[in-house]
Amino acid sequence: MTKRKEIFKYTLSRLALLPIMLWIISSLVFVLLRIAPGDPVDAILGNRANELARESLRIRLGLDKPLINQYLEYLNHLIHGDLGTSLNTQEPVKSIISKALPASLELSICAILIASIIGYLIGYLGATKPEGKIDLLGRIFGIGTYALPPFWAAMLIQILFAVTLGWFPIGGRFPAGMSFPSQVTGFLLLDSFLSLKIENINGAFRHLVLPSMTLGILLSGIFSRSLKLNLSKVLKKGYIESARSRGISKKNILIKHALPNTLIPILTITGLTVASLFGGALLIEITFSWPGIALGLQEAINQRDYPTVQGIVIAISSLIVILSVAIDIAIAYIDPRVSY
Amino acid sequence: MKISNSLSQLLKASSIILVLLQFSCAQNKQRETIVVASAGKIESLDPAQANTLRTLQLLSSLGDTLYKINKKGELYPVLAKDLPKVSKDRLTIDISLKEDITFHDGSQFNANAMAFSLRRFIEIGTLNYLLKDKLEDIEVLEDFVLRLKLKKPSSSIKGLLTSVNLTPVSPKSYSQHRDKFNNENFIGTGPYFLKSFSSGQQRIQPYMKYWDKKPLNKGIDYINFNNSSTLFGAIKSKEVDVLISNSIDDMQRIYLSNMVKKGKLKEGKGEAIEIGFITLKSNKLPLSNKKIRQAISYSIDRKLISQQVSFGTRDPLRSIIPPHFHQKSIQPWPSYNPETTRKLLKEEGFCNSKVLTIPLTFRSNVPADRLFALTWKDQIKRDLSDCMNITLNGLESTTVYKQLAEGSFEAIILDWTGDYPDPESYLTPLLSCNLIKQEDICIEGEAVSSGSFWANEKVQSLLKRSEEIDGEKRLNTLIKVQELAAEGAAYIPVWIVKPKAWSLQNISQPEFSRDGMIILQRLKRD
Repeated sequence: MTKRKEIFKYTLSRLALLPIMLWIISSLVFVLLRIAPGDPVDAILGNRANELARESLRIRLGLDKPLINQYLEYLNHLIHGDLGTSLNTQEPVKSIISKALPASLELSICAILIASIIGYLIGYLGATKPEGKIDLLGRIFGIGTYALPPFWAAMLIQILFAVTLGWFPIGGRFPAGMSFPSQVTGFLLLDSFLSLKIENINGAFRHLVLPSMTLGILLSGIFSRSLKLNLSKVLKKGYIESARSRGISKKNILIKHALPNTLIPILTITGLTVASLFGGALLIEITFSWPGIALGLQEAINQRDYPTVQGIVIAISSLIVILSVAIDIAIAYIDPRVSY
Repeated sequence: MKISNSLSQLLKASSIILVLLQFSCAQNKQRETIVVASAGKIESLDPAQANTLRTLQLLSSLGDTLYKINKKGELYPVLAKDLPKVSKDRLTIDISLKEDITFHDGSQFNANAMAFSLRRFIEIGTLNYLLKDKLEDIEVLEDFVLRLKLKKPSSSIKGLLTSVNLTPVSPKSYSQHRDKFNNENFIGTGPYFLKSFSSGQQRIQPYMKYWDKKPLNKGIDYINFNNSSTLFGAIKSKEVDVLISNSIDDMQRIYLSNMVKKGKLKEGKGEAIEIGFITLKSNKLPLSNKKIRQAISYSIDRKLISQQVSFGTRDPLRSIIPPHFHQKSIQPWPSYNPETTRKLLKEEGFCNSKVLTIPLTFRSNVPADRLFALTWKDQIKRDLSDCMNITLNGLESTTVYKQLAEGSFEAIILDWTGDYPDPESYLTPLLSCNLIKQEDICIEGEAVSSGSFWANEKVQSLLKRSEEIDGEKRLNTLIKVQELAAEGAAYIPVWIVKPKAWSLQNISQPEFSRDGMIILQRLKRD
């Protein structure tokens, strides 16, 4: 069997597992949410209202039905691609996700770009000149950013660049007082470019800078350390020594021989980081009031908005599975030794 | 060479950043609208769904109510032509409406529109029980006359008719939303119309055909941040013009007040509408013993707690009804007196090597509650360690609300904001009981939902009586209810929180209405 066929078969088998995985995840979320104390009625009414009013709202939200009926109804809707409607606002969950997900993706992509540029540059320079000044600073930077609590770093950056210097807005996604560009992609920066209005581009860009820089800098430590360690390891291999002895230039050794062999762990780490960011940039989203999916999920959990939580978890899980399959395929293409 | 190349690239990058910054500065200079910031997202602008202060704040500028309450506490007509006419048997209320008022979609406001909005609220409203419990039917008598038929006499319904939740919406625009929320639109009769909506920011602009005084500004950009630090930073960096205080940490409130003293900001205060109190579960020993509850109510040093928790910004409170409703100083709950606590506890067999332990629950996601619990615990340790001891337990608020009616908490710190500006909206939700057992234990009713399980026949009859009378008589009756509640000591009011707002120097001082909302149309650039 050719490698291409192997990969195709592998991809199909992984994608075939997706529905089963989603069923397990959604069932788990369904059960866990119902086990958790409190329900949407408690979250909506707080300590207001008498038991009669609470019961009437419970009936209206369909929470009075037996759990098994609720579960079967939920699965039935899910099979038909319906994620349900929010118990709190009656808005379709799909629409909630379609508003929040692009914001998270925009932030994640920019943060990963920043992290890659800073992290891999520092890692590369550290590996090529081991024990030098850059290597030392890179190590401190790597450990420092890794150890920094994200919310603390975010608040420091806010105080410095938004409050003290006033260079960038303190939070939100678009300037108050400006009309949003018409939604084409959901990525505000991209939509602003498409609107061809410089004030839109400027507004969207300036709001993106602080959250993406914070997230990017925090992630860059992991990237720099992983590249540095892998590259250092590869540079000590026999085939690098033999390349040196054949008189191949240092630059060529690095670019043609060493770097491609460090790509696999790097790709894996980058992929996993991207995947985790889809649902995991919560603290940054909270601090910068970035209306992303993690913030939406947190609010939905607080409100015990079952359909919204279930919908968001399914969306994030699907993205992570698809991304991990894509990474596997990329690795198989890059590394001839890998077979499935 | 390398250095000069790097420098030139650095200069290029800096100039790009500078150009971008110039754009932003230009934007700030050109800002004509007023940017108002508050905490938390606004998920829905439907008055039937609205249950957060931030949403009600915005809705109060987009819509009008039938009535409002003035600074003297009197009802005055807004969309209504005159005061409600109550029948002799107090079971029907006729409301004449102003004519020539239009909704933002151009359609006319009339009795049909008002009836549509009230019926819709009863049908789908999150807080529909407020109206459902009182209203039997809604009739349209004439084009501009509405009749409300009541289930039983209700004086408090007048206060309820000032509720922002009952602001009328256009039947024409809401024809597709009779039985479902219209989250991202609002078509009402208010001084502003909704220009754009997203959960993080909303823009409202003056409605040119508004029937009453037009707004003093060119529009409001209402933005929502998620946390106190961001809100605080936003006003400090002048990114926003006005900051509403509902979720600002006490520490930051102090800092903002200092900025006011230095003349850097202006501060507006509203009437206090949120009360903080302790509920004691009174259906099981030891707290079913009234003397022990009374002893506890003497043990709270409100002044110290307010100082420690909020640097004195939360006023100590010794009544359930906020003081501005009384129009005179009424403090039925006793002041701090550890000696009386010791005396009462000794009478019940404590203090002589027997220490009363009270497990106190607080909502872990409410920072002030946590500080309150810690301060009170320490204060008791300081003053009454030989008689009393407090153990602490933090729980997330949704979990707390779920378990309140189940009687899970011996003592718990809670807060309450009346749903409408009437003393009844503070008393009934805590004290009302439908079924009483053994003189003072509530089996069914609000007292169960609120976790105290405390009831009193006299209180119930006075609450009922208060719905059948008006004015001074009614107020005195409600004061009597409070006195009985203070004696029962199942609730211990601790503090009251005044809504505050801060504005930049070039913006007018924020003014509040009686229901704790900023009057956005009065904000203007100086």
